[in-house]
Amino acid sequence: MADYDVIVIGAGNGGVSSGALLAKQGRKVLVLEQSKSIGGCCSSFQKDGYTFDVGASIVEVIKPIELAFEKLGTTFQREVDLIECDPVMTIIDRDGSRLTYPRSIDKTAEAISAVSPSDGKRWYQFVKLMSEFTDVALNAFFTEPADSLTDMAKMFAKDPRFFKFIPLFIKSYQDIMEKYFKDERILKTMGYQSLYFGHPPAMIPGMFALIPYTEHMGVYYPRGGMIQIPEAFRRCGEKLGMQVRFNTLVKKVLVRNRKVEGVMLSDGTEITSTLVVSNINAKTLYLDLIGEEHLPGLVKTGIKSYKYSKGVPMIYVGLDYKPPLDSHHSLIAVTPQGVNDYWFNNVEKGILPENNFGLICWPTHADKSLAPEGHHVLNLIPEGFYHLDGTNWDEEKPRFIERTLKALDKFAIPGLMDHIKVLECTSPLDFERKLLLPEGSIYALQQDLPAAAAFRPNARSRAIKGLYLTGSSAHPGGGVPTTIASGYIASNLIEKYEQ
Amino acid sequence: MRKILCLGIIGAGIYVYSTLTDSKKRFIKELVRQIPFLVPRYFV
Repeated sequence: MADYDVIVIGAGNGGVSSGALLAKQGRKVLVLEQSKSIGGCCSSFQKDGYTFDVGASIVEVIKPIELAFEKLGTTFQREVDLIECDPVMTIIDRDGSRLTYPRSIDKTAEAISAVSPSDGKRWYQFVKLMSEFTDVALNAFFTEPADSLTDMAKMFAKDPRFFKFIPLFIKSYQDIMEKYFKDERILKTMGYQSLYFGHPPAMIPGMFALIPYTEHMGVYYPRGGMIQIPEAFRRCGEKLGMQVRFNTLVKKVLVRNRKVEGVMLSDGTEITSTLVVSNINAKTLYLDLIGEEHLPGLVKTGIKSYKYSKGVPMIYVGLDYKPPLDSHHSLIAVTPQGVNDYWFNNVEKGILPENNFGLICWPTHADKSLAPEGHHVLNLIPEGFYHLDGTNWDEEKPRFIERTLKALDKFAIPGLMDHIKVLECTSPLDFERKLLLPEGSIYALQQDLPAAAAFRPNARSRAIKGLYLTGSSAHPGGGVPTTIASGYIASNLIEKYEQ
Repeated sequence: MRKILCLGIIGAGIYVYSTLTDSKKRFIKELVRQIPFLVPRYFV
């Protein structure tokens, strides 16, 4: 008799959502988390009265999350107090000029038309294409398994409109953007978003161009911080008997005859179960926790062939003034080609850029309870990466912070340097140490076409019986709704195959 | 005849490739680099 029906490794969104859903199936579930907190990259921490978000800064495309909560017998909105962020974004150029996009499609068209009337007209064409594609993707792609070509065929069969969008998988993000937007000032508002998926616009399929549209379907911030989302799943799961243990590191997945038998913790304790759900990086899972000796040759070659996704640094700032910003999210303007140049000249060569760009998240714009009265919080995501040429993040971090803050003070957030009360930074190396993300890879594995769907590690492992994968490593990939979708998919597969 | 046709296709391919932007070439190179891994990845 096994100790538990299911052991979940990792309490990120994929782990806690699958754990709760499996508990709903009446299974005895144990979730093991190496850190002291829930949520992984979708978490929050407090310092000196300020609440900062570890990584994820908003949630959008919430349908997969709603489906998961509905299956738990509740609703996302009942479990988490969602604050809508409108406007969805302000784009700040280096000359100080700003362009703000409200949620409304029409008002955004007006904002674009004020810069470029022809791009304003094409915005509607772009919206038409992406709204239909998003509908198809949510209906057949994000919430269905993609483990095999049969699964893929089922997706196409479920919604034949999929065929219409095949060009979006062949063309690049940049191709799509440059087809619909010609004015460089508008293109500068659409370039950075490809990095949400860890690749530059030239290297990522055009399907990801849906993001500049989906932001207009609604961008939300959970009152109390991003941690409220995994906390809600934990709460639902615990009501159903799910147990969560923190500060508990899994050292090995016990495998015999290519079948899971449980896990071994770092203190040598063994916990048995015939089902293990992994919410950690798939390369770490297969190569370190399971071991190459248990893997067929093809699987060894396959898992080693994935590159890690890009890491990012985060700078957390507590302020004693209201920053002169306009939206929850502000982007530093950069064209798609500018992002490509950054990738080829900086990321690939390990040289941090002098003129950086990135994302400014202002959560106290939505939720004032995250800071003392009159104070504010900024979570900054300036561009950066794990491998630095001739140096490392422990050495580089102080210079990186100073350079970033000074630049933002100059053209984006005047007065920033004079009002900092709390300052913290998590480099890609810190993410590797604290959250055990190899190379700080927040999206686990590369997210391009040859590492997507049936070519991403399967939700139901073919190599090891009883092993299921969730999180950024599994289909549909990294992000808040997508990792929760992976938990939803894995729990559905377990319900189907593991009676 | 068949050889000429093949050479024509290869020549046209090389010509089209040479007209692509550097970013496009990198996109194609990266896809081609990963083709041998598709079968192993399918079984992971």
